Amino acid sequence: MNDALDVALRLLLVFVVFLTFPLIIGQTEHKVMAHMQGRLGPMYAGGFHGWAQLIADGVKFAQKEDVVPAGADRRIFQLAPAVALLPYLLVLLAIPIGPGEGAVGEVIDAGIFFVLAVMGVGVLGSLMAGWASANKFSLLGGLRTAAQLLAYELPMLLTAASVAMAAGTVSLPGILDAFEWWWLPWQIVGAIVFFVAGLAELQRPPFDMPVADSEIIFGAYTEYTGLRFALFLLAEYAGIVVLCGLTTVLFLGGWHGPWGADGLGWVWTLLKTAVLAFVVIWLRVTYPRLREDQLQKLSWTLLVPLSLTQIALTGIVKVVIQ
Amino acid sequence: MSLAAAAVAAATTTTPPALAAVETRGFLSPTGVEIAFLLVGLVTFGAAIVTVTTRQLVHAALWLVVALGGLAVEYLLLTAEFIAWVQVLIYVGSVVVLLLFGLMLTKAPIGRSPDADSGNRWAALTVAVAAAAALVWVVVDAFRTTWIDLDGPAAGSTKATGESLFQNWVLPFEALSVLLLTALVGAIVLSRKTKTESSSPSVNSRGATGSSSSVPDSRNHPIGRKGQAEQEGAR
Amino acid sequence: MAEPVPPTPTRSRIPGSGLAKGLAVTLRTMTRKTVTEQYPDAQPELPPRTRGVIGLFEENCTVCMLCARECPDWCIYIDSHKETVPPVAPGGRERSRNVLDRFAIDFALCMYCGICIEVCPFDALFWSPEFEYAETDIHELTHERDKLREWMWTVPAPPALDPSAEEPKELAAARKTAEKLATAETEQAAQPEKSEPTKPTDPPKPTKPTEPTEPTKPTDPADSTKPTKRATTQEGDS
Repeated sequence: MNDALDVALRLLLVFVVFLTFPLIIGQTEHKVMAHMQGRLGPMYAGGFHGWAQLIADGVKFAQKEDVVPAGADRRIFQLAPAVALLPYLLVLLAIPIGPGEGAVGEVIDAGIFFVLAVMGVGVLGSLMAGWASANKFSLLGGLRTAAQLLAYELPMLLTAASVAMAAGTVSLPGILDAFEWWWLPWQIVGAIVFFVAGLAELQRPPFDMPVADSEIIFGAYTEYTGLRFALFLLAEYAGIVVLCGLTTVLFLGGWHGPWGADGLGWVWTLLKTAVLAFVVIWLRVTYPRLREDQLQKLSWTLLVPLSLTQIALTGIVKVVIQ
Repeated sequence: MSLAAAAVAAATTTTPPALAAVETRGFLSPTGVEIAFLLVGLVTFGAAIVTVTTRQLVHAALWLVVALGGLAVEYLLLTAEFIAWVQVLIYVGSVVVLLLFGLMLTKAPIGRSPDADSGNRWAALTVAVAAAAALVWVVVDAFRTTWIDLDGPAAGSTKATGESLFQNWVLPFEALSVLLLTALVGAIVLSRKTKTESSSPSVNSRGATGSSSSVPDSRNHPIGRKGQAEQEGAR
Repeated sequence: MAEPVPPTPTRSRIPGSGLAKGLAVTLRTMTRKTVTEQYPDAQPELPPRTRGVIGLFEENCTVCMLCARECPDWCIYIDSHKETVPPVAPGGRERSRNVLDRFAIDFALCMYCGICIEVCPFDALFWSPEFEYAETDIHELTHERDKLREWMWTVPAPPALDPSAEEPKELAAARKTAEKLATAETEQAAQPEKSEPTKPTDPPKPTKPTEPTEPTKPTDPADSTKPTKRATTQEGDS
């Protein structure tokens, strides 16, 4: 009974995080992006600096009509947002925010593989949406999504493998237990490659060719309205949470910090995640969208060699220090 | 604990499955895990059948996702966590995405494709049944008396898999990787050959622009240029 | 091949310095004050020559119709009739003058070019920075003379001249005649002042039509040119 209660509590907590953190990041994006462009951003909803803007957006989405195009494949069209969103909920289960069993949704032995595998499944949602919409722009968006995923899955996996090699385990809490501060310079290249590849996999600017609104009018999501569209947006921001959390755990030492007692590890995790989320927004504001061939070139000629170099470096150092 | 973790993660049930006692070994007194195994197996089997019988191409690919996912759950129930996640990662995450990419490129229609049926349906069925029979026979014969102890340390954990792979099975592993490498090199050779034949008139222009690596990819043939860059990278 | 080439080719020596510069620009912008004006909550600070709405100083209008004729989109409507004025001196001819009946500007048509204000020879039209006169009915946008007069009270004083600037021409002319008159008076003190009109000696005040409240006009030196000009021209006119 106690076990069941424990599991239920953890699931509930993860669910709450899943529902609130993406909204917080979305609101931060509204405000940070506005100020980086010399604007103020939302100021009215909720009274104080537009804090309730996304809640108002949600209400608006919920009121909209749920339209399925006449030529669309109805069932796949309707299923796609769930396929896009749920994997991130599962991934959140595996990310530890503090030391010990109590601070992670569920300890998974092959944590890295679980996380990367399930994140890859999320892209299926975009593919399904792109194909089932019966819209050529959506189809183009789906194609671009698939090409992007294929190009960036490899460097992501390789750099994650580098960390796993360094730690000697593929379990996320295990990696954090083995973390030392000098891993930071040691794995810095891998960290950057992982972060960039993750951004590309989330289709965040500057890697947002699949949803390029000015070229292919939001790609796979062209035909979506109302709640289903909101689910896709939520998936994107949940993806940011997951990516930043993962980068924190794998490369930035998670709950380890220069100061702070044992009980405050989760503060460090959240702080690092928040800083990374800010960087995600910052990159979005700063850089223009890459062209499709530039995107492929970046992955194959820069990120993959860099990640291979990182693996080689990790292996050499690992052998030397043993 | 790891089994509970996996099951919870896979099915998002709020109650951990009952870890049954392993003393009662027999098909007639099934435990909870065995029932789950059978049910998931049925779902996987059904999805696989639909995959090969449906007339809608993309639906077939998506049913393949269900079948492969069901297979991953079966691995989980057999405590082979690492294999399960690699299965999801490689097959669902990459192979099916590649498949869908191909289907989209060929403009797979929404709805039934009348020409999605093969003429040699019976021959295919025969081969499939024969292969299935052989595999089932081999597996049953090999592991008939092998039982997984659910209470002890996981028999299929990453550590166990790694040790077994790199201590007992290193040679097959390396042979397989050489085989894959050969396939990779072969694919590159094949694609290069057809490419030089088809685009022989543009050799000069390519030589002119391809000499400096800092020049961005040429605008007129991004795909061909990219392919060449990849091949050079792989070489 | 494995050489780290930045995705965007930069001319600088350090690869990626252009990317860093971009990040710095956005970060710097974030720390600065935003340029957003929260208009309905805070009124904008408009420059004095803002083209908001056109005000009519009716007393200066002589119904010459220049504004209506020059208006590119014909948005000014003027009606008038003639009245006869009794002769100034007994036995003289009686004069006729135009009396304004209607002066309206249709701001639904107006394109705010300001030509009417430019061409008005008697300074009867002025720009006002007021801009909040949206209506739900397009007919309401035709502002009649009473409304145009209301806008007149919102016309700000013209910006002050530079400290060492040249005196406005009208003022200079008025003062010159005044000085000439003064010297003439002192020299020929015995001569009666009947033949000489006294108007230019005291330029703005007496000729000014008696209006209820004149916000800024008489106080400002540069602004007093307009009534002066009116006074002189009107004299020649009638």
